[in-house]
Amino acid sequence: MFFYTVSGLSVASSLVLPGLIAAPELPGVTPDVVIREGDVPAALEDAESLGPTWQVAQGRFLLEVPGIIRMLLTEGREIVFATADGIASEEAAVFVSGTGFGILLHQRERIVLHASAVRVRDSAVLFCGPSGAGKSTLAAALSDAGYDLVTDDFCGISMDTSGLPWVQPDGRQLKLWQNSIDKLDMAERRAAPVRKVLEKFYVEPRAASVVALPLAAIYVLREARPPAAPGILRPNIVDGALMVRGNAYRPAMVRRMKQQPLYFQAAASISQRAGVFTLTRELNFAKFPAVIGWLEAHWRELGLLERAA
Amino acid sequence: MRKTYWLASYPKSGNTWFRMLVANLRRDTPVDINDIPERSGIASARAWFDSVMMFPSSLLTHEECDRLRPMVYEALAQEVLEDDPEEAETMIGHTRFVKTHDSYTYNPDGGALLAGIKGADGAILIVRDPRDVAPSLANHNRTSIDDAIGFMADAGSAFCGHRDRQPNQLRQQLAGWSGFIQAWLAQTDIPVHLVRYEDMHADTGGMLRTALAFAGIDATHEETARAAGFAEFGELKKQEEARGFREAPRPKAGAGPGSFFRRGVSGGWRDELSTEQVARIERDHAPMMARLGYAPARDMTERMAG
Repeated sequence: MFFYTVSGLSVASSLVLPGLIAAPELPGVTPDVVIREGDVPAALEDAESLGPTWQVAQGRFLLEVPGIIRMLLTEGREIVFATADGIASEEAAVFVSGTGFGILLHQRERIVLHASAVRVRDSAVLFCGPSGAGKSTLAAALSDAGYDLVTDDFCGISMDTSGLPWVQPDGRQLKLWQNSIDKLDMAERRAAPVRKVLEKFYVEPRAASVVALPLAAIYVLREARPPAAPGILRPNIVDGALMVRGNAYRPAMVRRMKQQPLYFQAAASISQRAGVFTLTRELNFAKFPAVIGWLEAHWRELGLLERAA
Repeated sequence: MRKTYWLASYPKSGNTWFRMLVANLRRDTPVDINDIPERSGIASARAWFDSVMMFPSSLLTHEECDRLRPMVYEALAQEVLEDDPEEAETMIGHTRFVKTHDSYTYNPDGGALLAGIKGADGAILIVRDPRDVAPSLANHNRTSIDDAIGFMADAGSAFCGHRDRQPNQLRQQLAGWSGFIQAWLAQTDIPVHLVRYEDMHADTGGMLRTALAFAGIDATHEETARAAGFAEFGELKKQEEARGFREAPRPKAGAGPGSFFRRGVSGGWRDELSTEQVARIERDHAPMMARLGYAPARDMTERMAG
């Protein structure tokens, strides 16, 4: 078995999961999550809701990526997977560590946002947005500018007893497309392809944070196209909370698991405790230095850069 | 019962205008051009795929996505997604209109990419004289007119077909101007209603009323005339000049953002294309042009000369 820490959980896995924080085996300690290869049923007999390739039943979630992998997730504790004929387990690993784990965190009623995060002194700042909004490339550029990577792609948030939101690191490597790697000049840190058939690769960040950090700010990424002007804006608190909820890792998952109230409360609380902003900029690699400049000015304004490390 | 109709068109053929007309139906004031759904308003939107399948399209090749896309459209035809609070679908009553620039193709499993009758009840196919499409496409893609003409002739051409980056939408195989229209007209999976851009100009309200009737929607002469007025080219252009339009061509190095609503005329090619360019388009697309009633330039000159 291989051992990892993901979003604050201890994980034992029969599958190598690239990019996660490796952890020592602790004898006698039961891991929070077990990932293993095994038999996966074709269907759940008591499915309460279904989609084209997934089924939800009490405490269980069955997901198939056709031609690649099937996974059964049980009560946030276990992922059993079976790869399709002719598919190497390394080829399927990214679906377990990404989608599988993201859904498992939903099963544990964790707040999971579709976001990348970096460390700014003693806090975490998040970048949310749909696929293609530029979360990973911005996190990559920031990591090169001296801000440690905290998470890539999805981000688990937990609330402490006083209601303060904390970001759990998962130490992921970045996942970047070749074009971004070229433009960001990161070829030397390129590792294995995410899948052999894709020109998308794991990339070592300059540094990654492994401690939980209080959540200071969430930026919802937007493309600057008229009438949306470039810059950083603070939406009103209701819109901010809606934006947080709308950036759940899988909004349909929240709905299927009837977690809308949970998300709305958490989103409202996050909006109150941490600033929620929109960051609107052109999708253009040449603009990264300017965008990082805006962010640093904003962090100074928020007092994030003044705090002791 | 919810219904879906594709608004299928080769790019720059009047699809957005048609969506503006639909959005303006039964309104008191013209709809804001930036309130028309953009990200979730098109069949190739990634958000729909990711949301329905629960795993990201960005971890799949274009070919793998194509195999699964029919499942997405079948699911979408049945259920209402409320995932994007910022964008609502273009709907009249229970009928949704969804733009697509996908040619009507079948994936390697033999399934119709757009799921045939399980994906939609029908399609409104909007076509435009390719000689007018070329300069508009050049403006949109920020290429030369000659490049646009080459793109329109290329049966393998696609939007968002890169493999070294994440395109903002799923790949759309266009199949070239003739190929696109041929594929939609030849398929027998779903009924198609053909609309010519030129006829939209000649009688906007009448065209709209007929197209809506095809989709099972009754609209009065007054309603469609009013929508036509609200979505009149001058009004759309005025809005774009005042506030910009998010679907406009992206800024290009050394040039500002382009404008989406450019001229809004039919027959503008006469002063935008060289004789060689006109001849090249007519050579590339002669059979389909003849089928749609777009006469070659020589005939037109002769006819005008008397």
